[in-house]
Amino acid sequence: MSNQQVEPMLEMYLFETKQLIEQLEQIILNSEKADEYCPTDINEIFRITHTIKGASAMMLFDNIAGLAHSFEDVFFFLREEKPQNADCSKLSDLILEGIDFINAEFEKIGSGGDADGDATSLTLGVKDYLDCLKKGNSASPKAELPDMSAAKSQHYYVSQQKPFSSGKNFFRATVFFENDCGMENIRAYTIIQSLQDVAADISYIPDNIMEDDSTVEIIHRDGFQIFFATNQSLAEMQEYLAKTILFGRFELIDSVAISTEKQVCRPKEIIMEDPPVKVPNKEPVVADKDSHTAGPQSMISVNVDKLDRLMDLVGELVISEAMVTQNPDLRGLALSNFSKAVRQMEKVTSDLQDTVMSMRMLPLAATFHKMHRIVRDMCKKLGKEVELILTGEETEVDKNIIEHISDPLMHLIRNSIDHGIEPGEEREAAGKPLRGRITLEAKTAGSDVVILIKDDGRGLNKNKILGRAREHGLVHKPEEELSDKEIYSFIFAPGFSTKEKVTEYSGRGVGMDVVVKNINSVGGLVLIDSIPGAGSTITLKIPLTLAIVDGMMIKVGENRYTIPTTAIKESFRPRESNIVIDTDGNEMILLRGECYPILRIHRIFGVNTQVTTFTEGIVVMVENESDTFCLFADELIGEQQVVVKSLPPYIKTMRKVGGVAGCTLLGDGSISLILDIGGMLKRAQEYT
Amino acid sequence: MTKVLIVDDMAFIRFALKKLLETNGYEVVGEAKDGVEAVEKYAMLGPDIVTMDITMPNMTGIEALKAILAQNPKAKIIMVSAMGQESFVKEAIINGAKQFVLKPFNDEKVIETINKVVAL
Repeated sequence: MSNQQVEPMLEMYLFETKQLIEQLEQIILNSEKADEYCPTDINEIFRITHTIKGASAMMLFDNIAGLAHSFEDVFFFLREEKPQNADCSKLSDLILEGIDFINAEFEKIGSGGDADGDATSLTLGVKDYLDCLKKGNSASPKAELPDMSAAKSQHYYVSQQKPFSSGKNFFRATVFFENDCGMENIRAYTIIQSLQDVAADISYIPDNIMEDDSTVEIIHRDGFQIFFATNQSLAEMQEYLAKTILFGRFELIDSVAISTEKQVCRPKEIIMEDPPVKVPNKEPVVADKDSHTAGPQSMISVNVDKLDRLMDLVGELVISEAMVTQNPDLRGLALSNFSKAVRQMEKVTSDLQDTVMSMRMLPLAATFHKMHRIVRDMCKKLGKEVELILTGEETEVDKNIIEHISDPLMHLIRNSIDHGIEPGEEREAAGKPLRGRITLEAKTAGSDVVILIKDDGRGLNKNKILGRAREHGLVHKPEEELSDKEIYSFIFAPGFSTKEKVTEYSGRGVGMDVVVKNINSVGGLVLIDSIPGAGSTITLKIPLTLAIVDGMMIKVGENRYTIPTTAIKESFRPRESNIVIDTDGNEMILLRGECYPILRIHRIFGVNTQVTTFTEGIVVMVENESDTFCLFADELIGEQQVVVKSLPPYIKTMRKVGGVAGCTLLGDGSISLILDIGGMLKRAQEYT
Repeated sequence: MTKVLIVDDMAFIRFALKKLLETNGYEVVGEAKDGVEAVEKYAMLGPDIVTMDITMPNMTGIEALKAILAQNPKAKIIMVSAMGQESFVKEAIINGAKQFVLKPFNDEKVIETINKVVAL
């Protein structure tokens, strides 16, 4: 089997099974909250574990399949026997552990490794649990047979009439016919006929192809699946089928699993045409438990690389558009028809841009819901009670960005529970409700998404932070001059932790700096605020997308720079009287009683400019996690959306360019550097 | 060169098929306009492959198929059918036709089908 054939299959497997696992986790968490497994949930869990088992066995991930099987047995028992003595909490623990195991295996598989984890102890744990259940339930006459569930669950397997009788190798071939070849069901039958020469025990889905012409729809949508046994090898069968199958492509998979497991997850086929108007009046032939794969599909899955490429192209288009419409050759010409055409084109490109962006957007819901699990585990381990409230989970963010914020969010939530929320007694003493509360909120603000993590815990301890900062030599200013915000921002420094005791979850002092790094890497910002005794709020400001940013264009000498609007607090022309120069010659500006350092962009980047007096230029106040300062430029050009391009690799390899996050092409073909605020500050410090 | 017998009651279809096959390296050794003629010519010419229309006067393609297969069980016969004749095509396939092509012809598909059947 060549790789090209395996990989899409594997991708589909991972994709579908992951969804199932997420669903499973959600049901378990909800059931645990309700402290019971209701029949609908039990059924649903049974179905999910059954499907995971089947799919994993198909892909030869025996450890995952085995584990899923053991869960399936438990829920089969629960469903059939309805025992009264089931320990929900223990069961939830077992399954969640199992979910973690499977997720870890997926991680390995996804990164090209083998699923080599050992699930034996987990599986045994589940078996023990089931045994206990059965013993406790032996009052029920039906449960007297020890292997009840095994015997019964066999019922769901399509048994082969003569397994292993006529060939040693079992295969499954899935055939997809070309769209317009016609009479797919009969074509499928010709394959069966010619297979009869070399194989035995042939069965196929759908199985009534010759009786029912509407099976064409099913074959068209889901492919035609053939299961057979033969003495031939995989390669030989591959060749044979290639010779036999007309107007179609096929996937051939060998598996021992086929002999017992027939209900496999059907690979989804992308239907590029309109969904079939004629709905087959018969139910699909496969005992259709996973209804989400059936029915006309209105969704297609597309490789993210392709979307990235599309986004790139749209970016190029926006630039080329500007190159045409703002072409210097047009200057001073009265071209009314041309302008009309340009307006139309601008409308189309901006619609196109919006559409492409929206294709990459995903709601935060999945990421947010993962946090329930974190909260549950933490609470159980630390003996705290915390309620997690989610709001705005429907807010959509670029897919790339979602991937980058999941870990930081997890970390922040852990921190809040571990450091923020007090133990029960302490809360009661402080007159707070026993149950801690963490709010995770997302909202859109302009071209940013703001995520707030709020807790009603004890808040940050300024003195402790300050003490710790001193130990680490982080304090560079007289302490009485430090603002609250500056003190809080020390926790973002690498290696910083005030928690004396290292717990399993937090307190190792690796974390907050990683959080900041992760968020920065997607062009975001972390802000922190806290009220002693009342809780802390951490704010993540994240751009909606990485590809296009809102920026403020400024001019310095002959050059133009773009400052991301997220970083800008305000801009103004300073008055002479506000400028302060300290004894070291550092330039600062006094604004509303606060002093902010000024960095001259022309000095940092070594650019020649005529404007060197503050009162002739413009000052832009910017901020990042820890600092607020001012940048001095010649003039503001205006706000505009720019397409972010990374610096060309040859520049990056030549030398490290500090203070520049990327670049963008302007309409006239010139380049504008996009400033990286944190980097600017560092560069300035190196410079002085 | 692979020898082909074309069976169809319509002359223009035989012509079209003949042209198509000949430009693709096949030798059309004979043509028949009904089932009876087809069975006779098969015995006489011994072609490697037969394209067989289904609805024809005197003897239908399916009867001709059965008769030819009775002569030579290994005969390679491809049915030629219009859309909507599923039941006939099924009957032919069950009775031993190797493949089928659909009218109106898609040249590439016809050739691919014949190539595959020849290679069997």
